[in-house]
Amino acid sequence: MLDKKLLSLEDDDNLRSSRSNTKSKPRSSAATTTNPRASKRARLSGASLVDKIRLSFEDFDEALSGFKVSSGYERSKNTDLWVDKYRPRTLEELAVHKKKVEQVKLWFEESLDFSKDGLRNNVLLVTGQAGVGKSATIHLIASILGVTVYEWNAPIPTIWQEHVHNSSSGLKYTSKLDEFENFVESTRKYGVMASSSTEGIKAPVILLIDDLPLANGRHACERLQNCLLLLVRSTQIPTVILITDYDKADSSDQTARSMEDAQSSLERAGALKVAFNPITKNSIKKALQRICREEHCKVTTMEIDQMASASGGDIRHAITSLQLFSVKPDLNHTKIKSPRPGMDDSYHGNEQTMYSGLDSGISSCFGRDETLSLFHALGKFLHNKRETDNVIVSDCSNSLVHDEFARLPLKMDAPEKVLSQAHGQAGRVVDFLHENVLDFVSEGAIEDAWCVSSYLADADLLLADLRGKMSGHNKTEDVPQSAGASVAVRGVLYGNKQPCSSRWHVIRKPKLWQVEQSSMQTKKNLREQRNISYEGSRVADISVMATEYSPVLKWLSYRASPDAFAGMGEETDEEESEISEDDEIQDW
Amino acid sequence: MLWVDKYRPKSLDKVIVHEDIAQNLKKLVTEQDCPHLLFYGPSGSGKKTLIMALLKQIYGASAEKVKVENRAWKVDAGSRTIDLELTTLSSTNHVELTPSDAGFQDRYIVQEIIKEMAKNRPIDTKGKKGYKVLVLNEVDKLSREAQHSLRRTMEKYSSSCRLILCCNSSSKVTEAIKSRCLNVRINAPSQEEIVKVLEFVAKKESLQLPQGFAARIAEKSNRSLRRAILSLETCRVQNYPFTGNQVISPMDWEEYVAEIATDMMKEQSPKKLFQVRGKVYELLVNCIPPEVILKFMLSQRLLHELLKKLDSELKLEVCHWAAYYEHRMRLGQKAIFHIEAFVAKFMSIYKNFLISTFG
Repeated sequence: MLDKKLLSLEDDDNLRSSRSNTKSKPRSSAATTTNPRASKRARLSGASLVDKIRLSFEDFDEALSGFKVSSGYERSKNTDLWVDKYRPRTLEELAVHKKKVEQVKLWFEESLDFSKDGLRNNVLLVTGQAGVGKSATIHLIASILGVTVYEWNAPIPTIWQEHVHNSSSGLKYTSKLDEFENFVESTRKYGVMASSSTEGIKAPVILLIDDLPLANGRHACERLQNCLLLLVRSTQIPTVILITDYDKADSSDQTARSMEDAQSSLERAGALKVAFNPITKNSIKKALQRICREEHCKVTTMEIDQMASASGGDIRHAITSLQLFSVKPDLNHTKIKSPRPGMDDSYHGNEQTMYSGLDSGISSCFGRDETLSLFHALGKFLHNKRETDNVIVSDCSNSLVHDEFARLPLKMDAPEKVLSQAHGQAGRVVDFLHENVLDFVSEGAIEDAWCVSSYLADADLLLADLRGKMSGHNKTEDVPQSAGASVAVRGVLYGNKQPCSSRWHVIRKPKLWQVEQSSMQTKKNLREQRNISYEGSRVADISVMATEYSPVLKWLSYRASPDAFAGMGEETDEEESEISEDDEIQDW
Repeated sequence: MLWVDKYRPKSLDKVIVHEDIAQNLKKLVTEQDCPHLLFYGPSGSGKKTLIMALLKQIYGASAEKVKVENRAWKVDAGSRTIDLELTTLSSTNHVELTPSDAGFQDRYIVQEIIKEMAKNRPIDTKGKKGYKVLVLNEVDKLSREAQHSLRRTMEKYSSSCRLILCCNSSSKVTEAIKSRCLNVRINAPSQEEIVKVLEFVAKKESLQLPQGFAARIAEKSNRSLRRAILSLETCRVQNYPFTGNQVISPMDWEEYVAEIATDMMKEQSPKKLFQVRGKVYELLVNCIPPEVILKFMLSQRLLHELLKKLDSELKLEVCHWAAYYEHRMRLGQKAIFHIEAFVAKFMSIYKNFLISTFG
């Protein structure tokens, strides 16, 4: 089974490499001449290894930060993506943090060393945002250590028309998940024997699973998880699993959550987890500068700076932006220069205005939309950081406001912008703020507490307009939504005059949700109770039931009143212990 | 059976409290056709009792043979069908239900059931009293849309279906509906009337009522007859024969609200506010309506306590804010926000007051 798969995989490779022969040839030759280690590797595993590396070039989950100078590159200059062209060749070029690289390398060495014993944890789990160099690190280290990387290459998804066409010819449809299961099954049982048999050289082998099949729905998720668990427990070859972290902001997304589940279950099964952080601005800047030097493109440090910060730690994105920027310099120049058409070469004439020009021009040109997690945004609002020094008191805009109402400027973007970055639903944000804001109001400042809660009440009023028309088809309904969120956020920011000195806080999940749920439950119980206890003689209002009948009924059944409330207390205690979704925020 | 139900007057003639209204109603249905009716008044004043007696007056004993059922409707609303389930109480001639239980889908209920009732119009032996009665509870809690659709259906099917609406406050019923109904206001019974009823119940149960005991229950009952009879029964369970100074225990939630109020008087800080929130949550979990919490908090405790210490101007301010937040609570969605805002405001006012008087 596996053999077949691997064979087909290589067929595929050959096909591809023959197609892209012109491209791959110069590269491999360049590699051999410039990089001794790379040449060693090439010698070790022969042509098919190059193909495999080629294969991974197709993979988009790659980051790259360095490059090697070589005249051979000039030829492919216009054909290649810089991302592929300048993929890291040495550990120094890798922009990933040294410690993380070290961790991965250690795992490699250990797992390859011990592979004869067969008694240790064979699975490495690498997580991180898109474009932080997960696969690049793996491939690089593998090549340095002379390890062959076998990749689980996901089959091409079947489109519906294809399926319809195939089904008439008797081919059965297999989902990606099915195929993955089969693959895992066969790897477990037979290992990757194909490599040694076909090449005749005993090279160490690792298996790289970069593209986990997308599991949709609970059932599929469970299958995937079981499958992965099986792999972790019984795999014979060292396996690397890469999981891309999706932004927490999209946590409503089912996929992201299932991925998180998969991660945690893998960890529990004993996989070693290495989490890659977003790449620092400086590393990205360094990488970009090297590329620029190499490509001889005229990009100022300021622009690089802009690009690096706009990329949000995604080095692949940064490099692609750079390429785009230098491929069409005219376009960008006109765009940036439009306010001052007279200036041609010197950016340094008026840096301040240039900077602002870049700020709007570039970031819209190749910025990646930044996203914040909801908790991050909440932390910003709740901690309420403000500028304390160099505040210009005599600012004319301030003098219009009475001293009592004036606040120091915020140490963040406009609250609305932060909100939109966090993708928070207004109602949710307001609930979270309401639940947590009192922790951040300093002791004794009840006036502030009132101000905040009053604004939150106003926000609720705005949000309540949705009642009765649940469908959110209408665009106009968004207006009270965002207005409500804005009022809540700004109210919290404004009302909390002296926020608590920043301590460590836990952001709680709104208890309100639980309260709402359990009150619904009580209501239901009451309704049932009403039907039973009155033998249908009357229909009492729920409120009357709650306030008058049920206490009396309790008494009549000889239950003392304190008991009832003691029970109530317990109930809520339980609820509190159920809150597990706490997220921590430290001082941002 | 609870005494409240046991001694509920079954016919309009036996009514003790609102005799004049009962007589008017009787005249209304015996002499002519019954118009749409809107009963409104505070809870425990006898609206339901009057409605049931009225039904009996119209239809005779058959109105008392009711059955409770959970009915499901499938409403076709344009592109989708909505499944609704609601408890109804019905006899051959009338249906009683609380549409606001259906939440924001209440308007479908109202339309659907009226249409359904109008379809099979009953024919009397004499062939004239051909209408059914639909009793709708808690009309004031209906959404605006539901009230509008109610208005339309009311007109369309008025020949075959009469509505009796029942609510606490007519101010939340739209003008359009009010003008189509005969409005009957049921006042809360006075304390003397409550005492009269309690004595009647005691006589039937052959209980000995000590001097002034009934009056004390009546006083505690907040002019709610239901409440008074219920407390009489609990007192009977707790301790009989009655003693003159027997404690009339308040409802458990009332004690709890009182506790919250005491908390508010004791300490004014965000931390306390947070604790108060937790307690309010517990009340809400037990379905104590937020308006009741706010009102009780204010009327029973805060003002009472303030009376000792505060000047009337401050009382006015507190009341103003209570009213303000009560109003907003009705407009808004999440009651806790508004209750909390009031609590915070009160704490802030009270703290300032304490600082200014005692330094």
